[in-house]
Amino acid sequence: MADTPSNMPEDLPPQELSARLQQANRQLHQSEKMAAIGQLAAGVAHEINNPVGYVYSNLQTLEHYLSDLFRLTDAVERADSLEDLHQIRKSIDYEFLRGDLEDLLAESREGIERVKTIIAAMKDFTHTEEEEFRYADLHRGIETTLNVVNNELKYRAQVVRDFGDLPEIRCIISQLNQVIMNLLVNAAHAIENTGTITIRTRHEGDHVTLEFEDTGKGIDPADLSRIFDPFFTTKPVGKGTGLGLSLSFNIIEKHHGQITAASTPGQGTLFRIRLPIEQPGAVSDE
Amino acid sequence: MTHILLLDDEANILTALRRLLRDEGWQVDTFTDAESAIDALQSTAYSVIVSDYKMPVMDGVTFLQFARQRQPDAIRLMLSGHGDRQSMINAINRAEIYRFLSKPWEEYEIQAAIRSAVDLYQVTLENRQLLDQVKRQNDLLRQREEELLRLEHDNPGITRVRRDQDGSIVINDVL
Ligand SMILES: Nc1ncnc2c1ncn2[C@@H]1O[C@H](COP(=O)(O)OP(=O)(O)OP(=O)(O)O)[C@@H](O)[C@H]1O
Ligand SMILES: [Mg+2]
Repeated sequence: MADTPSNMPEDLPPQELSARLQQANRQLHQSEKMAAIGQLAAGVAHEINNPVGYVYSNLQTLEHYLSDLFRLTDAVERADSLEDLHQIRKSIDYEFLRGDLEDLLAESREGIERVKTIIAAMKDFTHTEEEEFRYADLHRGIETTLNVVNNELKYRAQVVRDFGDLPEIRCIISQLNQVIMNLLVNAAHAIENTGTITIRTRHEGDHVTLEFEDTGKGIDPADLSRIFDPFFTTKPVGKGTGLGLSLSFNIIEKHHGQITAASTPGQGTLFRIRLPIEQPGAVSDE
Repeated sequence: MTHILLLDDEANILTALRRLLRDEGWQVDTFTDAESAIDALQSTAYSVIVSDYKMPVMDGVTFLQFARQRQPDAIRLMLSGHGDRQSMINAINRAEIYRFLSKPWEEYEIQAAIRSAVDLYQVTLENRQLLDQVKRQNDLLRQREEELLRLEHDNPGITRVRRDQDGSIVINDVL
């Protein structure tokens, strides 16, 4: 950085000083962001290689399967004898093809979904799609999200709502919903048979807190400091990208809030989010 | 029967590869963790062993090194997502791999590489068999020579049998 303290005039007026400080802060923030993106890009290249690898390969296989199937439909078109049709059907191993086609497509879709998730996460990291902060009702956000993840939750967890009186807070609700979703899905994954997820909301002075507590398997103390790192995951490949929490962390930070985790292995995990009701620097226009 | 071992921690990679090898008539065994692949090395003789590079618990170089000790004749190939130089050098020097396959791949690359690995394995095996055969025959020859020498020593002249015009053995009553 060009501005080192040594060439900083000592008798700057306070205004000038604070402007410079702000500038330095912005630069710091930017370089942190760049470092995060760099780290992300290296990880992303590897994460994307696998799904792209098998989807690409499957497409080549699909080409062969289709040309086999076309042999059959062409024969139908030519009105070949039933005998001939059976012969072709046998030679292309139709039964196998049918079954494997379904698997091939399902696996390929899964691969593309993974790439999509990673790209979406990248976008959120780089904040290319800037949305506006607006007043929103967090309880509504929670309910919407519960609907979305209902499938993941319903067989495993009973959801207990311990809601306080919350004022609307200034936020980007779509992003907070993402955070809520990540926490709920993680909680559901942590529950091995069946268990409980408690969602607690409170209003305290100029901020609100949200808690997500589960009775799942908990987090190893050695892992606790790493769960917010990009690509940190204990889930098998293909199941978790390890981006959920790092993304959530970024979103909460962007909202000038904090997210923390406490866990007792074998008993459960508690994620706590603290969010200010107002955003610093936001003009009150509502 | 030609046995092929494929190891990658991602099941979808394995099924995609298996599809490409379907028509070759090989027995293809796939594994998502190194441990069970190592178990398989105990019971099955493989012609070709293909392993992913980046895997949790045990990386591909370590696994292939292990496979090399267990089944030195099997031809080793490595699947790798990134062309990191150091990892390639390690793989070549420590695991003596035959080919690198990149992710993502072209179907013909995989097929051609594994086919030529199978060929190489067979040629190596044949070579070894021929060599054994030559050695065995050499041993036999030497044994016969020694036997002849012994006979000659005990009965001088016995190994130099003379024949007359019509091929019958001429017995000279020396004594
Ligand atoms: N509620 C929880 N209980 C136990 N472990 C958790 C919980 N939430 C997170 N973790 C641990 O933190 C890791 C990182 O979580 P994160 O949401 O970032 O990624 P992921 O769930 O593994 O993958 P993704 O969310 O990208 O599909 C998880 O793999 C898990 O080990
Ligand atoms: Mg998650």
